[in-house]
Amino acid sequence: MINFIIRRLLLVIPMALIAVTVTWGLIRIAPGNFYSSEKKLPPAIEKNIREKYGLDKSWIEQYGIMMWNVMKLDFGESLKFEGQSVNGMIARHFPYSATIGILAYILALIIGLTAGIIAALKQNSYFDYGSMALAMLGLSVPSFVLGPLLVLVFALWLYILPPARWGGISFLVLPVVTLSASYAAYIARLTRAGMLEVMRSDYIRTARAKGLDEKTVLLKHGLRGGIIPVVSFTGPALASLLAGTIVVEKVFAIPGLGNIFIQAVLNRDEPVILGIVAFLSILVMLFNLAVDISYGFLDPRIRYE
Amino acid sequence: MREMSGQNRFAFALILLSLLLAGCSTQASSKYFGKNNVPKNNVLRYISGSEPESLDPQVGTGQPEARIYTALYDGLVEFHPKTMEPIPSIAESWEVSKDGTEYLFKLRKDAKFSNGDPITANDFVYSFRRALKPELLAKNAYLAYPIKYAEPYNAKKSFVKGADGKFLVKSDFESPDAKVEESPDEKVEKDKDGSGSQATTDNFGADTETHRFLDEPERLAVPSDKESLDALVKDKPKLKAAVESGELVPVTEEHLGVEAVDDFTFRLKLFQPAPYFVGLLTHQFFRVIHKGTIEKYGKDWVKPGNIVTSGTFKLVDHKPYDEVVVTKDPNNWDAENVRLDGIEFYPMDEATSMMNIYKYGGVDAVYNHVPPAAWNDQIKQFKSEYLNFPEVAIEYYTFNVTKPPMDNVKVRKAFSLAIDRDALETFRRTTKTLVDFTPEGIFPKYEEARTKVYTELLKKQGSSLEEWRARKFDPEKARKLLEEAGYPVKGSTGNYSCPDFPINDVALLYNTSESNKDVAEFIQAQWNQNLGITVPLKNMEWKTFLNVRKELAYKGMGRAGWVGDYMDPYTFLALFYTENNDSSTGWYDPKYDKMLDDANKEIDPQKRFEMLAQAEFYLMQHQPVAPLQTQATNWMKKPYVKGMYPNPGTLHPWKFVYIEPDESKWTQNAEDIMKISDPSVDQHVDRLMASQTSVEDKAKRSDAATKKSGE
Repeated sequence: MINFIIRRLLLVIPMALIAVTVTWGLIRIAPGNFYSSEKKLPPAIEKNIREKYGLDKSWIEQYGIMMWNVMKLDFGESLKFEGQSVNGMIARHFPYSATIGILAYILALIIGLTAGIIAALKQNSYFDYGSMALAMLGLSVPSFVLGPLLVLVFALWLYILPPARWGGISFLVLPVVTLSASYAAYIARLTRAGMLEVMRSDYIRTARAKGLDEKTVLLKHGLRGGIIPVVSFTGPALASLLAGTIVVEKVFAIPGLGNIFIQAVLNRDEPVILGIVAFLSILVMLFNLAVDISYGFLDPRIRYE
Repeated sequence: MREMSGQNRFAFALILLSLLLAGCSTQASSKYFGKNNVPKNNVLRYISGSEPESLDPQVGTGQPEARIYTALYDGLVEFHPKTMEPIPSIAESWEVSKDGTEYLFKLRKDAKFSNGDPITANDFVYSFRRALKPELLAKNAYLAYPIKYAEPYNAKKSFVKGADGKFLVKSDFESPDAKVEESPDEKVEKDKDGSGSQATTDNFGADTETHRFLDEPERLAVPSDKESLDALVKDKPKLKAAVESGELVPVTEEHLGVEAVDDFTFRLKLFQPAPYFVGLLTHQFFRVIHKGTIEKYGKDWVKPGNIVTSGTFKLVDHKPYDEVVVTKDPNNWDAENVRLDGIEFYPMDEATSMMNIYKYGGVDAVYNHVPPAAWNDQIKQFKSEYLNFPEVAIEYYTFNVTKPPMDNVKVRKAFSLAIDRDALETFRRTTKTLVDFTPEGIFPKYEEARTKVYTELLKKQGSSLEEWRARKFDPEKARKLLEEAGYPVKGSTGNYSCPDFPINDVALLYNTSESNKDVAEFIQAQWNQNLGITVPLKNMEWKTFLNVRKELAYKGMGRAGWVGDYMDPYTFLALFYTENNDSSTGWYDPKYDKMLDDANKEIDPQKRFEMLAQAEFYLMQHQPVAPLQTQATNWMKKPYVKGMYPNPGTLHPWKFVYIEPDESKWTQNAEDIMKISDPSVDQHVDRLMASQTSVEDKAKRSDAATKKSGE
C-alpha cells in the first residue's frame, strides 16, 4: 500500500513536467505575444521588453530557465498584471473555484445518489423512468444553456437571485445549481447501474440469506459496492470542478481559476498559464490517487501490490 | 399513464409559455429597464470592463483602467464631463508661448495627495520623468513624445559631443534627399521655417539654466547600441564621420523638457508645436503620482494599504476580478464639490452577464458598447436609460497596399465605393456612416474647416462636395474604376461577375467576434452584389490577428478600429505619420507627413484645422483604407445616475457624478442629456474654468493691444 502510494506520487512529478513542457511549446507556437497591441512599440522599447523577460535568449536557454523555475515551484510574475506572482494568483483565485466546485459536487451527490438508489430499488417504476429521463436532460443540456436559463427565470423575471458576481450565499445558488446539474445526472445514472448490478450479486443474496434486515443489506453491503463507479468518477470530476469551470465562471462573473486561466491564454500570459497547468495536472493526479486508495476501503476485493 | 406524461409535457410547455409572456409583458409595460435599486449609501456601482492591468496609471493602457484612474488620480487638467475638452484641475491656469512649443502651468496651492502631502510642480516633474523612464517599459510612452527629448530618453538614445566639445545639432544632419522632391518655393519656405525654429529663445516664464538648455537648437540623438547605430549611419557618410569622431553622451531624465520653475509653476517644452497637447494631458499617463510611495514599495506601491493617490477618490480595496472599491478622499482639493461617497468598480467582460446584472439592479451603470446587438430593439425604447451618441472612435477596413491588386489605388477606391454605408448603418443600428478618416459629429470646428477646404479643393478638380459625399456608396463608379484597373465587371444588376479579378490574392481578415463577423458578411455580400467579387472571409484570435496585420502578412483587407487618445483630429490622422506608422496598411507618403507637420506649426486653430483637412483630403485620395462607421456610445445608465454623460470617450470625471434619490429629477429623455443644463454640474465646471478663462481673456486683450499699437 505504502509502496503503491510512493510509486504513484513519484510519477506525479514527471507527468506534471510533461504537461508544462507541452503547454510551453503550444504557447510558443501561437503567434502574437503578451506585449502586442494595436499600437506599434518603438523598436527600442520592444528591445527593452524582450531583454527584461529574457525573450532575447535562445529557445533552449529559455526552456531551461523556465523548467528550472517550475521545478522550484516558482512560476514568476504575471506578464500582464504587474507585480502579481503566479503562486499568489492561484492561491487567491482557487478558493472561489473550490467553493462553488465543492458545493456543486455535494449537491450533485445528494441528488444523484438519492435518485440513483431509489431508481435502482424501484426499477421500471415511474420514478425510475422520470428520474432517468431528467438525468438524460441534465446531461444533454450544457451549462451555457442552463445557466442563462436559470438567470432568466430567477434573476430577470422573479428578481429573487442575483444573476452574476460574487457576494453572499444568494450569489452562490445559481452557479452551484448550474454546475451540479450534469454531475447530479451522471451520478444518478452511475449509482442506478451500480446498484442494480450489486443487488443481484451473490454476496447480497448471502446477506439476505443470513437474515439481515433490508436496510442493513442495502446501506452496509449494497451501497459500498454500488457506488464504486461513483467514487472513480469523483476523482476527475472533483478535480475539474475545483479547477474552475470556465463557462460557469464566465456566465456568473466569478473570479475563479477558470476565469483567470482563459484571460491568461488570451493575454499570452505565459507564467500564469504554465502555473495553472502545473497546478491542475498535479491536482488531477492527486485526486485520482485518492480515488484509487479509497477503492481498497470500499471493496474488500481490491488489494494493492 | 402514457397519456398522462403527454399531458404533463403539455402543462410544462404551458407554464414555460406563460412565464415567457409574463416576462415580455412586464418589460413592455414598465417605464424602466428592470429594477431600480437606488444605492442608499451614496456609493455608485459601475462595471468597468476587464480586470485592470495595474492601478499604476503609467502602466495600464486600456479603457478599463482609464475608467478607474480618473477616480484615483488628478492631473494638471481634467476633462470636461460633456465635451472632454481640458478644464483646470491641479493646474489652475496655463499659458502657451507664441511659438506654441512652451506651456506654463500655474498650480493650485491646496492640492494634496491622499496621505496629506502637498502636490507641487516637483511631483509633476517626477511623474513625467518616471513615465518616460526606459526601465518602466510604459506602452503609452509614445503619447509623451512631443515633449522635448522624451523619445531619445525613453529609447535610451545618446547625444553626440563633437571633437570641438559642442553637441551636434539635428538640423545639420537632416538629409534633404530623403525627403520628397519639393518645388523651389516650398524649399524657400522650409528654409525660413528652419531658421525660425532655431532661434526660439524667448523669455516665457522665469529664465533658468534648464530653460536656456531647452531653448537651444535640438540636439542630434542617436541610438546608443552599436548595432542600431551602425544601421542608422550606414548610408549617411556625413553623419557617420561626425558620430565616429564624436563622443556619445546618454540622454538622461535631466534633459527632458519638463521643469519645476518654482513649487507651483510647471513648465513644459515641446519639440515642435502640438496644439492638441493640453487636451492630451487629461490622459491617465500624465496624472500625478506619489514619489515617496513608489520609492518605498517599488512595484507593490499600488497594493491596498501601500498606495497613495492624487484623485478625488482613494483606494479602499482591490480584489482582482471582483471589485475595486474607492472612497471619497477628504484631502482632495476639490473634495467639498465631490458628490459621491464612493464608487465600486466591477471588472467584468461578458456582455450578457453585465446586461443581466444591470437589469437585475445590481449595478447603476455599465461602460460603453456593452449592450449586445440582439438586445438593441429591447433596450432602445427605454429612453431614460439608453444613450447612443457619437464617439471619438472609428471602424474601417485597411488595404494592404504593398501587395497587388490592392497596390492599385483604383482597385482600393472601387472596393470602398462598393459598400452601401447607409445600409450598414441601418444594419448595425448604433453606428453612423463614415466616409473620411476622422469621426463625424465629434469635432464640429474641424468639420466646418473641412467642408470649406474640401469645397475649394474639389472645385479645382472639377468636382463638387456632393460628388465627394457620394463616396459613401457609388457602385457605378466602383465598377468603372475596376475596369480602368484592368478588371472589367461583366453582367447586369443582380448578376455581376468579375472573372479577371485575382480573387486568390485577397481575403477579408477580422478578429474573431460575433459583431465583426456580421459586418464582414454584410460587406462581403455588398462586394458580391455590386462588383461580382466574392471575397473570402478569414477570422483570427485577437493577438494572432494583431501580429498578422502589423506585419502586413495579410492579403487584401483587414478590419481595424481606432479610438482617439485625445480630442483632436490629429489623433486619427497621425496613424499614417512616418514610415513606421500604425496604420497596418503599408501606406506612407513623406508629403503627407509634411502636411501634418506644417499644420501643427500653425498657431491659429481654425487655420490649422484647414491644413489638417487638406492632409485628410490627400490621404483619402489615396484610399489606404475603406472607412466604415463612426462608433457610438451604445451605453446604459440608470435614470437616477446624474452628472454622467455620453461624452466622446464615455470616460467620466467622477467628481461630477451623483445619485439622485428624488424620482422627479431623474433623467427622463436621455436624447436631450447633452443639451439640458444640470445647474449643479455646470456651475461646478464654471467655477473650475474661471481661473483659466481670466488668463485667456487677459492674453486676448494684450494681443489686441499689441495689434492696435502696431497699427
